Amino acid sequence: MGALIGRSIPRLDGIQKASGRFQYGIDLVIAGMLHGRVVRSPHPHARLRAIDTSAALAVPGVVAVVTGCDLPDRRFGALIKDETVLAVDVVRYVGQPVAAVAALSLEAAIEAAAQVTVEYDPLPAVEDPDAALRAGAPLVHEAWASYVAHPRLIRHGNVCGTATITKGDLARGMAEADHVFEDVFTTEPVHQAYLEPRMAVAAWDPPGCLTVYSNTQLPFEAQAVLADILGVSPGRVRVITTGIGGAFGGKLRIGVEHIAAVLAQRAGRPVRIALTMEEEFAAAYPRHAMRITLRTGVRRDGTIVAKEAHAVLDAGAFSGSSPGLPSVATLVLAGPYRIPNLLLEATSVYTHKQNFGSYRAPTGPQCAFAVESQMDMIARRLGLDPLAFRLRNVVRDGDVGPTGQVFGKVSLEAALRKAAAAIGWGDRTQPHHGKGLACTWWTTTGGPSGVYAKLNADGTATLATGCAEIGTGALTAAAQMFADHLGLRVEDITMISADTFATPYDHGAQGSRSAFAVGNAARAAAAEIRRQVLRLAADTMEASVSDLDISDGRVRVRGTPSRQMSLGDVVRLAMQHDGGIMAGGTFAAPATPYDTTCVSGHFYPAFNSPSFHAHAAEVAVDPETGAVEVLRYVVAQDVGRAINPRLIEGQIEGGVVQGLGQALRERIPYQGAFALVHNFGDYALPRVGDTPEIVSILIEEPDDIGPHGARGVAEPPIIGPPATIANAVDDAVGARVTNLPLWPERVLRAMRERARGGE
Amino acid sequence: MSRVRPQQLGPRNVQRVRVTLGINGRRHVLDVPPQHTLLDLLRTHLGLLGTKASCGEGVCGACTVLLDGRPINACLMLGASADGRSVTTVEGLSPDGTLHPLQQAFVECGAIQCGYCTPGMLLSAKALLDACPMPSDGQIRRGLSGNLCRCTGYVKIVEAVRLASQRLAARTNHQPQVAADDAGGPWAR
Repeated sequence: MGALIGRSIPRLDGIQKASGRFQYGIDLVIAGMLHGRVVRSPHPHARLRAIDTSAALAVPGVVAVVTGCDLPDRRFGALIKDETVLAVDVVRYVGQPVAAVAALSLEAAIEAAAQVTVEYDPLPAVEDPDAALRAGAPLVHEAWASYVAHPRLIRHGNVCGTATITKGDLARGMAEADHVFEDVFTTEPVHQAYLEPRMAVAAWDPPGCLTVYSNTQLPFEAQAVLADILGVSPGRVRVITTGIGGAFGGKLRIGVEHIAAVLAQRAGRPVRIALTMEEEFAAAYPRHAMRITLRTGVRRDGTIVAKEAHAVLDAGAFSGSSPGLPSVATLVLAGPYRIPNLLLEATSVYTHKQNFGSYRAPTGPQCAFAVESQMDMIARRLGLDPLAFRLRNVVRDGDVGPTGQVFGKVSLEAALRKAAAAIGWGDRTQPHHGKGLACTWWTTTGGPSGVYAKLNADGTATLATGCAEIGTGALTAAAQMFADHLGLRVEDITMISADTFATPYDHGAQGSRSAFAVGNAARAAAAEIRRQVLRLAADTMEASVSDLDISDGRVRVRGTPSRQMSLGDVVRLAMQHDGGIMAGGTFAAPATPYDTTCVSGHFYPAFNSPSFHAHAAEVAVDPETGAVEVLRYVVAQDVGRAINPRLIEGQIEGGVVQGLGQALRERIPYQGAFALVHNFGDYALPRVGDTPEIVSILIEEPDDIGPHGARGVAEPPIIGPPATIANAVDDAVGARVTNLPLWPERVLRAMRERARGGE
Repeated sequence: MSRVRPQQLGPRNVQRVRVTLGINGRRHVLDVPPQHTLLDLLRTHLGLLGTKASCGEGVCGACTVLLDGRPINACLMLGASADGRSVTTVEGLSPDGTLHPLQQAFVECGAIQCGYCTPGMLLSAKALLDACPMPSDGQIRRGLSGNLCRCTGYVKIVEAVRLASQRLAARTNHQPQVAADDAGGPWAR
């Protein structure tokens, strides 16, 4: 055992994907299916006066048209039930679904959708959180108080959730400080930009039972939400995850499954809806714009003694993930630092925009941009080296986190030193070149995972998990851990994934948890399988279980090479006896203890199995244009144990480049409540030429709970780049940019301000 | 928004255009609606689903195919315009089921995550290697500049193209290049 751990085995679905044979959601066709199309609001806020569907119904090939009035009055939402499948009475953002049509062909559906006539009375829109929080501001949801919502949520008016951490005595801490620095940072929305749009095929088959195929990250959440919306028992809703062409959190919450389901119900036939990229930019779950104010109290020697943070998230028109994310934000705002006195508060605010949501490490890049930019700003003001200033304050083994969680082994100092060494920290650079550092921490989301496993008659194995493979390779890592336990090859494992009827419950492909949690469940199943195999083999070979070993697909009696049998023989024997070799395995991460008096309105009071990371970059800035080129990027990340190093490097490289996109170019600008980006053509995604050299340094400080000590890996790499680049740009040309992205003109303006003597 | 009368679009009244084209070495004759793109022809009429649809405006490169050996965005070309031309799709890279060296390198190097960009990326890479068998990293970057990948950060894609170019060069030079397949490959870790 252990031979497969730490090996860079190619991903299980690689050959299918390379040969073009992998089936994505978008490729799925089922017999008799109709094509659906959604009619969307062109207004950010308007009263729906009338909807006329007669012309749409007259389009040849149209089978069904549905509007909000046709549906039962049911609302859904993860923490606040504030959303309806189709708008009723009022529309609240540009792109909100108002009606939907199903037709024999996509062309007919497109034409019919254009023929739905909707009369609107436009109303004033709440364009941003400042406007939403102003006294007398229009309410995005006038009936907010009547909505079913999680009782822990603190909400009022346009505020749909506030989370707070308090620790120590902030006033006393600030009084003890020699300097108190206050800085404000802002960020703009960015999009997950998965290449495959969201889709669903819904079929009421058998009657009364709904089957939905969708490229969702969370089939079990989709199952529960669909059952709730449709008023059927979850046991009558089967959600099957298709192949997924990118997700990054954008496919967590329900997307089109519910619209396809109501169309299919009305049409009496299966309905497929696949969104266009224009729809994806109008009505998806992009990353929140945030405004973050930090007040940090520091002693003359560079010890941080107090920190106050206030952050506002633009939630958009419906709550989705937004009420829970302020909690995550507060932990990131604490930073990976020892600070005795804290007041950290974050608030999600409704506006008349699309629903912002969870994008890989939600709130992480924004909050780390603020915290780590300010660390450098403070270091510069105090004349300290940014690396030394961080090293003075970072958390270490046995320290207590912002909410009282006690850290075990913390490798952050090592990460910082390694990243700094790799970037040549302190070495002289050319003119207009600069280096930046940032250090961050993040969680490994807990939540349960279950797997079924069985050995097949040829000695191979099938592993069924409720977790979807969204591209990270997490299920390959899980298969690796399973195979390792049983002396199998990874290629001998077939993964069946994410079917709410055929696979066990899983908390889903989110929060850097898949390899961690599915891996642990798979190991539990493998242990049981191993027990069954050894017991039967021991009986058959008249040996003692303790003398047996499994390797290369054979059970062997230790020290007696002639006495062995293949796993296939064992399985075939077991089939004759009692139906074969099979087992279930489950895992649920234990809750991380914390101090309950520290938090209010909080949904994420501690970072489970936390990972710590240090980023470093070297940039060149064109002093004439302000354009930033990233020359080299270093990530030193504690992965606990690298189960599959190449897959982990892939997560780091991909996350860094996404983070560089947010740092330098990507944004969804708004004019009022109207988004000005409609497709990839307007959205500056990084291309191959934008990728710098990326150095991944994997630190392996084993976690107590993760499989083989592994920690969550996938989200952290995206958190650090905006801060790291902002710090490097300041080092290069003396330009402190406090709003993302670092457009060339922002860099130029900051250079001129500094030259004039400002900050 | 333009208003087209419904009867103009009813399936019965749609005109069709005859298109003859070679796809992955096989001749196909199709009668297709004139507004259908080459991408529609491949995916809807021929069921060749390996070519992916995404932005529909020629920006992402997910639908890249080779037209007479040159990479194009299949979403931007009308199917009728491809009449008489020859098209290579990802399915044409491994006609006998054996992976093309580029496909093999993508798998080994970890150049695939979600895989949605992979077919288009492979065809851009093939066009590059056909024109320039031993490209520099800069040439690889230029050759792939029309293809978006949101997962990998491109590092391992460039690595895979480089590895495939070395293996292909070794093959055409008939030099036994054990190192490229063993110690020199990414399996070495």
